[in-house]
Amino acid sequence: MEHIELFFKSIFIDNMVFATFLGMCSYLAVSKKVSTAVGLGAAVIFVLAVTVPLNWLLDQYILKEGALVWLGPEYAEYDLSFLSFILFIATIATMVQLVEIIVEKFSPSLYNSLGIFLPLIAVNCAILGGSLFMQSREIPSLALATTYGVGSGIGWFLAILAIAAIREKIRYSSIPAPLRGLGITFIVTGLMAIGFMSFGGMLTGGDEEAPKEKVVSSKKVENKEDLKAKELKKKELANNSKEIQE
Amino acid sequence: MSKRTDSNLYTVLFAAGMVLVVGALLAFFASALKPTINENKRIEKQQNILYAMGVNENDETSAIFVSKDKVADVFAKYITKQLVIQGSKVTEDAKAYLIDVKKEQTSAKEGNERRLPLFVGEKDGKTFYIAPIRGKGLWDAIWGYVAMDADMIVQGAYFDHKGETAGLGANIKQRFFMDDFIGEHLMKDGSFKGITISKSNNDPKNEDKTDNEVDAIAGATITGDGVSAMIKSELKKYVSFFNTLKTN
Amino acid sequence: MGLLSKKDAALITDPFADNNPITIQVLGICSALAITAELKASIVMAVSVLFVLGAGNVVISLMRNIIPSKIRIIVQLIVVATLVIIVDQVLKAFAYELSKTLGAFIGLIITNCIIMGRFEAFALANGPWRSFLDGIGNALGYGVILIIVGFFRELLGSGTLLGFKVLGDPIEKTGLYAFGYENNGFMLLAPMALIVVGIIIWIQRSRNVALIED
Repeated sequence: MEHIELFFKSIFIDNMVFATFLGMCSYLAVSKKVSTAVGLGAAVIFVLAVTVPLNWLLDQYILKEGALVWLGPEYAEYDLSFLSFILFIATIATMVQLVEIIVEKFSPSLYNSLGIFLPLIAVNCAILGGSLFMQSREIPSLALATTYGVGSGIGWFLAILAIAAIREKIRYSSIPAPLRGLGITFIVTGLMAIGFMSFGGMLTGGDEEAPKEKVVSSKKVENKEDLKAKELKKKELANNSKEIQE
Repeated sequence: MSKRTDSNLYTVLFAAGMVLVVGALLAFFASALKPTINENKRIEKQQNILYAMGVNENDETSAIFVSKDKVADVFAKYITKQLVIQGSKVTEDAKAYLIDVKKEQTSAKEGNERRLPLFVGEKDGKTFYIAPIRGKGLWDAIWGYVAMDADMIVQGAYFDHKGETAGLGANIKQRFFMDDFIGEHLMKDGSFKGITISKSNNDPKNEDKTDNEVDAIAGATITGDGVSAMIKSELKKYVSFFNTLKTN
Repeated sequence: MGLLSKKDAALITDPFADNNPITIQVLGICSALAITAELKASIVMAVSVLFVLGAGNVVISLMRNIIPSKIRIIVQLIVVATLVIIVDQVLKAFAYELSKTLGAFIGLIITNCIIMGRFEAFALANGPWRSFLDGIGNALGYGVILIIVGFFRELLGSGTLLGFKVLGDPIEKTGLYAFGYENNGFMLLAPMALIVVGIIIWIQRSRNVALIED
């Protein structure tokens, strides 16, 4: 039950892109086509699923204050948490390059479709963010850390898939020329984030609606409807593109 | 440049050298600066505790602490007793303010009995009971000190955070938010209720002090919920102590 | 330009407009969204990035011939992280108040992809002086956008600038608020930062048609 709750929470409520705005750079830069977005999204899921539990182990047995106690009671006072940034980053970069080398060696076809994204992932702040959140939210067990990693990855995957689908479609709309491409992507992402804010209600129980945000809430509803329409389109589109690829 | 630096041996040697250099550098800075950093943290704790009981140098709008060089004397003057509450046992400990609330919370999870520090301050003939609290905001830890009188009515509060969003959650350490707590009741009809950070109490000037609600910061829902939660769960642990105060 | 040749000067001026890191290169977005609800935080972040990017670019540029290409990403990340952590520790020891203001940004600075992006795209292939200029130029271009977004979000969202109530007091109903003006609390939320940046891109590209994507 704990796992299911954390899983859905990390996908929807604490969505990396829409709630905490992490991993925006690659999200915006690599979302022109659905197929590339899927590749990057899958790579992010994989890397998060590996690095979050790894960093959890590092945090538990090396970094935390008193974590070194397994070496002997005289080490109980050591607090290496100032090293957490650098060790987390080193783990991530090492994992990314290791995965790159392994995939290249054993599955060249997968490497061709996924490989070019791997270096991009090391600089994706969603990955480091995942590890740092795991640390600050004090996730209690290795299994939960894995769940959290996978969930966050899927959340990011969904986000980039959705925006890529919208961008493919939006290409055929008559948008003012200066807004085409990046500009409209920013604005659409903003609207999607507003839609995702409605999931936040799930966290607090939703019994406290804010009366002082009256102006806002009417806006929210519109956007949600927009988003629904977009999601529908997205689904169609995803199906279409699958057929085309096949 | 891709001839010499591509060999495996070179890569491994480079990595090893890098680890050594960086590790040595960081360890050197960390251990050399640790005493100064800890001293700064200790001073800050004293400043925070004094701030909560209203000993500060606030001007019209901003929160200003007692200055660094005076704080030790001022702390000794105003804080008359430092208590450690463990179950029903209350002991005095002049170093109670150094108790790490985070560590206590973790060790309580492992089944140990929590040590709860409480500072007793005297100012203008009034007695203040100041308790540290700690919880989680949107991004990272949030913590604070709440000064109460014997009836658990808040006399002052100080909040701080590690990394809440600037301009939103980070505003919990602004005067307009902290000052709202002054006079607010923690009890309702004889039982502990805490204080909820509410968006819907229609009381932005916070004139109703007995509603157990304080006006929220717009756009900082999760941080606000974190503050409500830490007040509720942490201060509740002190209720039995305040009850013994009354019976004596 | 006695000190800088024309080519060098372009390294500083280009990122302001035609090659802006945020609006054109799409780098450093996360922090542009996270901390721009307040003008002060935007300025602090801009200055920190100026420092880290300037120094980091020089270090990477000096090391560019000895870094093994296989592990260059790790090396780059570690250089930034080390720089930032050391600065953080020194500030904590000698300027505690300042370090509290900056503390929240440390993680954002390390993961700021503008830093990695410039290491990878420029410092690995150029000398230290030019890398330094490139770092300063890009950090300034980044800072300008941050400050513009921070300005509008704080002004329209809380009615203040750098904490000063420039539009009057919303509770006492003075200044603009006496005429029924209300703060738009929505401006403070991160989605509005995205939309403000989108509008900046719109304005920029309608002034410089060459930047329009097809």
